[in-house]
Amino acid sequence: MSSLQGYVDRRVLLILQDGRAIVGVMAGFDQKSNVVLSDSKERVYSMEEGVEEIPLGLYLVKGDMIILIGELDETLDQAVDLATIRAEPIPPIRY
Amino acid sequence: MLPLSLLNAAQNKPMLVELKNGETCNGHLINCDNFMNITLRDVYQTNSDGDRFWKLKECYIRGSTIKYLRIPDILLDAVKEEQVRAREVGRNTRGAHAGGPGNRGGRGASTRGGRGRGGPMRGGRGRGRGVQ
Repeated sequence: MSSLQGYVDRRVLLILQDGRAIVGVMAGFDQKSNVVLSDSKERVYSMEEGVEEIPLGLYLVKGDMIILIGELDETLDQAVDLATIRAEPIPPIRY
Repeated sequence: MLPLSLLNAAQNKPMLVELKNGETCNGHLINCDNFMNITLRDVYQTNSDGDRFWKLKECYIRGSTIKYLRIPDILLDAVKEEQVRAREVGRNTRGAHAGGPGNRGGRGASTRGGRGRGGPMRGGRGRGRGVQ
């Protein structure tokens, strides 16, 4: 059985159906993959300027909205200077 | 920690709810259920572009339409502490019933002895008590 238990108390990256990328520490989850993130930030990507990090604090994301959850390599992540990153934002899902 | 226990602890606290259509509702949580259906009071609703606003005294939001909830940071610590306290209480009461601290195996052996769980045995015990 696949589980999110291994991600608890780890810094993770969430990609949502609307294209948002949110990083935060996974504080909890449930059967429906609803996820609690603490100390979370949204990362806004654009081609014009560096990545903007918007602090969001404590977040409860519904499982329906989540496309992927990945564990962040914190040392690797901190080594990246987000201000130098240029990238297209992820478009929202189209039905 | 379960998302719903966090939400339950957020009653009467301010929160921001974004719906799947991009609308947001700012208000104080009145109540919630296991489907994450929620009621809010003193709500400021905005449309998905964030350029139109409505003020509502109270509103009900079906859980399935919610994208995410933004909750005050301090609630996480409050719920964690509450869980620790609940665990302590649970341990203490269990200890009292068993006549002091001890592991499960020890307790089982002292109260049930080697009798096992058979139906006839239980019946026998019941009769015994009745006679007393």
